[in-house]
Amino acid sequence: MDSTKLMELREESGIKILEIKTDLSSYAASDLRKVLEDLLAEKVEKVVVNLSEVSHINSTAVGALVGVAKRLRQSGGDLKICALEDNLTRTFNLIGASSVVEIYESENSALAAF
Amino acid sequence: MAKSDIKLKIPSAAFYIEPVRAFIGNLAQSLGFSRKRVADIQLVLDEICSNAVHHGSIDATVGVKLRIRIDTHSLEILVRDTGSRHTGEKSWLTHERLAEIEANRSPSSESGHGIFIAKSLADTYEIQSNAVGGTDVRVIFELLKPNNLKL
Repeated sequence: MDSTKLMELREESGIKILEIKTDLSSYAASDLRKVLEDLLAEKVEKVVVNLSEVSHINSTAVGALVGVAKRLRQSGGDLKICALEDNLTRTFNLIGASSVVEIYESENSALAAF
Repeated sequence: MAKSDIKLKIPSAAFYIEPVRAFIGNLAQSLGFSRKRVADIQLVLDEICSNAVHHGSIDATVGVKLRIRIDTHSLEILVRDTGSRHTGEKSWLTHERLAEIEANRSPSSESGHGIFIAKSLADTYEIQSNAVGGTDVRVIFELLKPNNLKL
């Protein structure tokens, strides 16, 4: 199964919006990393990842988001995350990643923060 | 409820973790764990199975064994891998490697959070080398703790 089919990419005002429509356990987390690496290869600078349809995220997926956010910042861009369920917020907080990646309540607020 | 064991063996591939995560979620819910605690149990299972698949298996064919033990008081998960011999070590998690992972973990790390998550969320967490040259990780979630029960 290719979970990248459950990751929709669109663009608004020059910002790539990646909407995830699958839980991010180990298998899908690898696919998420591939999708994000592809964006880096395309020299994309601004990314919003919408997790509103995700009810589970593991540390591999969080690590992929953190890693890409750090690399985008080095080139003047950023990756912001939005619409997290409580479970996801707890995972980000537990790892400490919420202090590294900017998290917003809604897609609009994440877009506006650029 | 009498003590019961459920034994599973999955191929050492990430694809097979998701259905087991779904199963353990349904089981924990049926046992009466709170919704929040069910999510914790699923996350811990995902993390320790991911470690077993990615670091504790020489290839996808060897498999990862799980023993899920339930009784009236608790849900226990044992994940047993056979070890990756790529590094010349029998067990992927020596005490030295564990200490190194814990010392290097930071919020901005891209990896190395799995053990920390399991230790933080499980009521009991144990890790040790097994007889087949791999690693056993055992976690227990206690049903009778007030925060673990459904409201």
